Amino acid sequence: MDWEALWLSLRLGGLTVLLLLPLSIALGRFLAMRPFRGKAFVEAAIALPLVLPPTVLGFYLLVAFGSATWLGQIYERLFGHTLVFTFEGLLAASVIINIPFAVQPAQRAFEAIALDLRDAAATCGLSWWRSLRRIELPLAWPGILTGMVLAFAHTLGEFGVVLMVGGNIPGETKTVAIAIYDRVQAFDNEAAGRMAALLLLISLAAIALSFALTKRVVRRYG
Amino acid sequence: MAESPSPNAALSVNLHQQTPIPLDAEFTVAPGEILALIGPSGSGKSTALRSIAGLYAPSRARIVCNGAIWLDRDAGINLPARARRVGMVFQSYALFPHLTAAENVSEALGDLPAEARRDRARALLARVHLDGLEDRRPAELSGGEQQRVAVARALARRPDVLLLDEPFSAVDRVTRRRLRRELAELRRELPMPVILVTHDLDDVVRLADRICVMRRGQILQTGPVEQVMTRPSSAEIAELLDLAGDVPAVRQPRGSA
Amino acid sequence: MKLKLLGLAVLLGNAVFGMQAARAQDVPVIAAASDLQFALTEVADAFAKESKHEVKLAFGSSGNFFRQIQQSAPFQMFLSADEQFVLDLAANGFTEGDGVLYAIGRIAIVAPHGSPLVAYGGLAGLKQALADGMVTKFAIANPEHAPYGRRAEEALRHAGLWEPIKDKLVMGENVSQAAQFAVSGAAQGGIIAYSLALAPEIAKLGNSALIPADWHEPLRQRMALIKRAGETAQAFYAFMQGPAARGIMRRYGFLLPGETS
Repeated sequence: MDWEALWLSLRLGGLTVLLLLPLSIALGRFLAMRPFRGKAFVEAAIALPLVLPPTVLGFYLLVAFGSATWLGQIYERLFGHTLVFTFEGLLAASVIINIPFAVQPAQRAFEAIALDLRDAAATCGLSWWRSLRRIELPLAWPGILTGMVLAFAHTLGEFGVVLMVGGNIPGETKTVAIAIYDRVQAFDNEAAGRMAALLLLISLAAIALSFALTKRVVRRYG
Repeated sequence: MAESPSPNAALSVNLHQQTPIPLDAEFTVAPGEILALIGPSGSGKSTALRSIAGLYAPSRARIVCNGAIWLDRDAGINLPARARRVGMVFQSYALFPHLTAAENVSEALGDLPAEARRDRARALLARVHLDGLEDRRPAELSGGEQQRVAVARALARRPDVLLLDEPFSAVDRVTRRRLRRELAELRRELPMPVILVTHDLDDVVRLADRICVMRRGQILQTGPVEQVMTRPSSAEIAELLDLAGDVPAVRQPRGSA
Repeated sequence: MKLKLLGLAVLLGNAVFGMQAARAQDVPVIAAASDLQFALTEVADAFAKESKHEVKLAFGSSGNFFRQIQQSAPFQMFLSADEQFVLDLAANGFTEGDGVLYAIGRIAIVAPHGSPLVAYGGLAGLKQALADGMVTKFAIANPEHAPYGRRAEEALRHAGLWEPIKDKLVMGENVSQAAQFAVSGAAQGGIIAYSLALAPEIAKLGNSALIPADWHEPLRQRMALIKRAGETAQAFYAFMQGPAARGIMRRYGFLLPGETS
């Protein structure tokens, strides 16, 4: 069991979720409001990481973040090292590829809020912030949380993108998924098997949790 | 039959639009007066109500309330709903399902400190005969009780206009009669103009002072209830008001001048 | 509420910048070609015992590391299976000097137990097995970026086997993965690094036989420190050239510079 890799994966998953939380609330709510021109395009763009092969994603991220690009160079000048092959680069990639996992359930949750509840909030004089905080978030949070759970589980399992953007650098970008691959190549099937079983358990727990949350929504207001 | 605007109108409404929803309506409501908007579905009455609330803005419109311009498309003024002091009772009541009755009402009292909000919410709920039920959630209340919470919440802000969108349609007849009676009692204390959208002629007869008959966004006739009911200015209106029989104490007007 | 936000910010900062602290601790990451999977692990253990300093090893194909180092991947030392990669990096200013030759590698043909292919028959045996239709899959490392793969291809060409076998090849991304394919039953056999074939974990799964060194270009394995390498990496670089490390490498079938086979 590669504890360093496990801790790395947990940290990566946790931070990805933390960064995606405000984004998923903002985007989910925005997309749940009235339709606007180009909405379908925005929704398609958000869904893109779901269907793109991980290596394609990894390739474009590598090209975008690598030191050959202006983005990579600005980063390097600011922080003294590159974005790729670092934990921060992995985090950036992870946030991007998990956007659909986080945003879509949040969007569904906001859409499920009856339209006239928002109208009622407005006629009660609530500012958009108070309406979000007191009315919409309490009603939408199971969906938002589902998105977070899915993004966390997905991050733990992500392999192709991590390998391409992060390499396999112990303590920096060697996540559990990569460590499993690594152990198999070293003919250490026992270690690989232990870590694989752990990831399996975590994934199962994530699915069970998201189901429970969905049921909770239905029970409360369905 | 058009009506000359009342000189002490608190609310004046001017709505004009062709698409997507045709509207061509002008009316005024005096303080303390109840105007009923009646008409078949699709007649634009709900749209008119939403426009007054600030939830919709027709392409050419002007709404003035107590001297303040709420909406004037030509001048580029469009106050959002939260900035207008409206109280609105939605057809589905739109109560916040995760809050208790008291909390629902206090949400509309946002600018008061917590203590004052609690007290005033309870006072309002008592006024609509819901004392004892303040801590129940909407799901734990009957249809009639939910409606009363919606009314209390609408009144909480001491609104400049009270808007009621088919407020009795979701309950059974017995409850409807009781709620109507309570509203009739309550209205004596209501200083603001009230607009009531309804299908039900009983509502009109028992609550409204004036009636505005709409069809496809247009006002066919406006006037005091008794006047319009006894002397509809066209057969169409008579038909809309279904004056062939159901309404008590009103003579058959078919074809009369 | 504010306290929670503060706590969250602290956690966040810690999690991200904790990385910086770890980097400062000088546990260097060493990039090593996959053929060193077992040999270098032993060397690193010996180094840790002697110097009380740790290094982290990352194994992969030399071509991959070559690319990553050019993109400023944070490795402090690179042990390549092909010296050209190191020389190219040196020419482009990525390394401290030209580095030094640390080993000459060999390739071996392997076959798992129960395979119709028999390793000691060498490439001639492979030729026969192919002709008999007993070989449907054969594993080598990808010649595009793995030096051991390239040498495997050269040896196969030398034996006139490239044409008949090339459609049956399964390519490992690096020579470790090729070894995986070769002995796990996915293929009837393969050509892998001799150092891997000698490792107990693999040796127990099948048989192997050396392929004559003059059937392919020599595997001149070169290593170098990457620019701005820290003290621990430098110590490891020196250790790698010392007698203890050389002894370990010899046991894994490597020829050492200055020695003949």
